[in-house]
Amino acid sequence: MPIIEVNNINKDFMVAKRETGFLGSVRSLFKREFIKKEAVKDISFSIEKGEMVGYIGPNGAGKSTTIKMLTGILVPSSGTIKVNGIVPYEQRQKNASNIGVVFGQRTQLWWDLPTIESFELLKEIYQVSDARYKQNMEIYQEILGLDEFLNTPVRQLSLGQRMRADIAASLLHDPPILFLDEPTIGLDVVAKEKMRTFIQEINRERKVTVILTTHDMEDIEKLCNRMVLIDHGQKVYDGDISAVKERFGKIRTLVVDVENGEATFDIVGAEVVKREANRVWLQFNRDEISASELIGRITQTHSIKDLTVEEPAIESIISRIYQEGFEEKLVSV
Amino acid sequence: MSYLPLYFKLVGAGVRAQLQYRFAFFMRIIGLITAYAGMAATMWVMLYRFDALGGWTFYEMLFLLALAVVSWGCCITVFFHFKSLDTYIVNGTFDRFLVRPIHPFFHFMSMKFDIGAVGQFIFSIVVFLWVSMAIDIDWSVWKVLFLLSTIIGGVLIQGGMLVIISALAFWTTKSEQFYWVAMYPARNLTNYPLVIYPKLVQMITAFIVPFGFVNYFPSTVILGKETPYFPDFVGFLSPLVGVVFFLLAYWLWMSGLSRYKSTGS
Repeated sequence: MPIIEVNNINKDFMVAKRETGFLGSVRSLFKREFIKKEAVKDISFSIEKGEMVGYIGPNGAGKSTTIKMLTGILVPSSGTIKVNGIVPYEQRQKNASNIGVVFGQRTQLWWDLPTIESFELLKEIYQVSDARYKQNMEIYQEILGLDEFLNTPVRQLSLGQRMRADIAASLLHDPPILFLDEPTIGLDVVAKEKMRTFIQEINRERKVTVILTTHDMEDIEKLCNRMVLIDHGQKVYDGDISAVKERFGKIRTLVVDVENGEATFDIVGAEVVKREANRVWLQFNRDEISASELIGRITQTHSIKDLTVEEPAIESIISRIYQEGFEEKLVSV
Repeated sequence: MSYLPLYFKLVGAGVRAQLQYRFAFFMRIIGLITAYAGMAATMWVMLYRFDALGGWTFYEMLFLLALAVVSWGCCITVFFHFKSLDTYIVNGTFDRFLVRPIHPFFHFMSMKFDIGAVGQFIFSIVVFLWVSMAIDIDWSVWKVLFLLSTIIGGVLIQGGMLVIISALAFWTTKSEQFYWVAMYPARNLTNYPLVIYPKLVQMITAFIVPFGFVNYFPSTVILGKETPYFPDFVGFLSPLVGVVFFLLAYWLWMSGLSRYKSTGS
């Protein structure tokens, strides 16, 4: 049985229409027009226990709105949601003890107090037993290195430290489900890597189901095997990341170092997209010409010093999907 | 789960957070005492010329002021941060209260406990003692109990008003100005005996914004003053009015919250 079930949910907001210019804003002080904004349109998906799902979409696509409905903060306009057998907006408090939530942009810790105090307060709020608390704190301290700043007030923590504390805080009560809203936003490379390792570890060791929204495609590539893509409130893709790569990853790039950077290539199915000194980038479609075939053709006329084949990054694939849309037949489930 | 021990733990954290800013803390206490002493001095200057205002002497008015200050002090200790609920909503930090397994009203209430109100307590205790000696108030047991129940009623009335103001944030997103437009002037009004105001104003402070029950009506009982337009027992109603008004405010807050959950911010 899936741990999260979402069926045909919609969420509409009434948004005040903004008038432009000074006169417009004066006018809107007295008379406001409201327009209906459909933040989420007929979205359905289900997630099995232990899955790690990337929930992706451009700004304003409806990611946060969906997360807010799953956590019980918002009530859907229509449709049904079940999280661990509970309807989140009907039994919000009960749902809260089953989930951990991290909003990357805002901390849930007590800003002015030493970090350890936030953990102690959350222990009381979630009624975590002393033994469990001690055990969890030991594990998180070790993996996340909380020791170095437990006595520092939260407001003095670096962003990386704060995120580590925040994610540990969200897992104090051993929730089976973890929602991560932009967990790596603003972090440097090292901090991002630490965060990802930790997320992987709790997913593997504790079978925590993770739903994460992010703009960082590396997060998705490294953490998730499934992604749900939404745009303008609608689901455009739901399935394997490898399937997307398969479908959209046919266009590859061959980078060759040749003796003469001015050399011309007249090969069907491949075209030069970039030149830099003696290095040439050739884009080709895997269906029309294979990499070995292409290399063979080049060696007939040029001598190659070095070469690499670049796989398309998931990031560029996704931006292509948003630009070109996704064919219906690819939407699985 | 028992909320009371949790309340003390959360509130304790709030107090420790407040004490991180020592200088601001002490300056506020000193500032409040000075402000109220200034208000008392103004009364004295005014009554120096007129002897009495609406039949109220300087000491009686001081008593009225002290009663207002003490219940306002208790009220801001527990409820003052409700006034800033709109900021929590606007910057999204309010959502935090909705992803925890405890009641959101309780959770928000226990976020802060403003011990800076010590200034109000010092001022009002000094004034109560001073006035009691000056006009010989006989503090029997029932009078003390009456005063305490009145203070509780007053805290609930003013706390209820702050809760109502904060609840408006669920509809308007910005609500702090309602405090300055409605509550602040109403409170200043009740620093003087209501009898000096037109009938309409007196009716409003009895039935609409029931601040008359915070200090004026109960003071007439203790000081034995007349209350034109109102029956004599009106002074005993403060605790009842407080409970009813606060429940009303709580209901409004909870309806606001369910609206917030369906509309977002």
